[in-house]
Amino acid sequence: MLKEELLIVEDLWKFIDGKPVLKGITFDVSRGETKVILGPSGAGKSTLLRCINLLVVPDRGRIIFDGEDVLKRRDIHNVRSKMGFVFQHFNLFSHMTALENVMLGLVKVKKMPKHEAEKKAKEALMAVGIAEELWNRYPAQLSGGQQQRVAIARALAMEPKLILFDEPTSALDPELIWEVLNVMERLAKAKMTMIVVTHEIGFAMRVASEVMFLDDGMILERGPPEQVILNPCNERVKRFMDRMKYVYSLDTG
Amino acid sequence: MASNTPEIPWWLSKVLEVMWQNFVQYVPIILSALSNTLILAFFSFGLATVLGIVMAFAEVFTSKTILIIVSWVARVLRGVPLILSIFLVFYGLPKLGLTLPPLYAAILGIAIVDAGYQEQIFRGAIKAVSNRQLEAAYSLGLTRASAFLYVVLPQAFRIALPSWINDFTIVLKDTSIAYAIGVVEMFTQAIHVAQVIMDYMWPLVFVALIYLAICYPLSMLSNYLHGKLKMMGMLGSGV
Repeated sequence: MLKEELLIVEDLWKFIDGKPVLKGITFDVSRGETKVILGPSGAGKSTLLRCINLLVVPDRGRIIFDGEDVLKRRDIHNVRSKMGFVFQHFNLFSHMTALENVMLGLVKVKKMPKHEAEKKAKEALMAVGIAEELWNRYPAQLSGGQQQRVAIARALAMEPKLILFDEPTSALDPELIWEVLNVMERLAKAKMTMIVVTHEIGFAMRVASEVMFLDDGMILERGPPEQVILNPCNERVKRFMDRMKYVYSLDTG
Repeated sequence: MASNTPEIPWWLSKVLEVMWQNFVQYVPIILSALSNTLILAFFSFGLATVLGIVMAFAEVFTSKTILIIVSWVARVLRGVPLILSIFLVFYGLPKLGLTLPPLYAAILGIAIVDAGYQEQIFRGAIKAVSNRQLEAAYSLGLTRASAFLYVVLPQAFRIALPSWINDFTIVLKDTSIAYAIGVVEMFTQAIHVAQVIMDYMWPLVFVALIYLAICYPLSMLSNYLHGKLKMMGMLGSGV
């Protein structure tokens, strides 16, 4: 029987240049859950995500992923192969085609034979709505929305237990945001476990099982989206949400 | 002289014509030395590439101490005047018991200095690969070694290509300094011809055009590749 919590983060601290960026973050993520992290720039949201897959090594605290203490493991690349990461700036490998981008992890990390990896990569690309005529294009020949969907396919093809999204739509033209959010919403409905750092409160309202508001390295408020976004208790969160509601015209008043 | 167009005076054009006719019979002799020029260029450039890549890798993949030592070595190499390097190899090394024929001495002398420049090209190219690319590779579960092998190095070599080709054109022209230790390459041969026909003009202009004919297409290629890299987004901010 699998334990319900896929990820447990306990008292996580990170100092950068002597200043605390994360101040004792504690939360857990259940299987199939979509956790949305909101908060202002510089709150430590990206650092938190990067700590979870150890692109940034935390200074104190525990991260239990799938029953294992991640910080105690020396073969961190094996842990990372079970966690997808989707970056704000897509970070597709610029010397590889869309298809090669998705295949790289399958061939070099999962040691899949090439033809099998290719089949799997094509399935993943189809799943995010990237049509066949785009498979052999280079990242620079794709729109931002297409690049981000290829990046999601690249993460998805590895069959991760968890996908971390770091502001996946912040670098996109408004019109292209939709196609990426749409793919993410479908993933959430398919019960993929996800942690999403975003400013898209509309997306959070529809999809999040829980919303956490992060500021100054601390979780100021957490709960269902209706509470945190529409009726926050914390003054700081309320001020932030009022402005977000204005920007996104989500006035419920 | 009532003509209002700046015509070359008849006597000067006659002189030039005679000089050209004197010179033209020596063209095959000058061209016969092109092979030595190319041998000098290819071998010294090849050797410098190997040395440059080894130094760049040592700087990127080993310890901080080695980084400091190697970058100083490269800086010293870049600071040596080419003719000094060639003389040191040709006239200096025999004192240490190593006597090289002029051609080999010139190859080694040019390679030593050029290695310093190529170290800069390859180290710069590795550093220019965006850190984001490395993070993406790590996030898929690639080890540090595979991330460099499959993501960083293939991009670094593409980024290095235009500068590397440019460097070849510089080395090709630098081979003319081998004249100083008596290697019979194209420039040397042009000087010999000039001394025989007592005219430096035509032989020198002629070899200049040969150098240009080789370098110009290569710099066009370098520019084209640079543009292509830019289009592929590989010459970004280096973040």
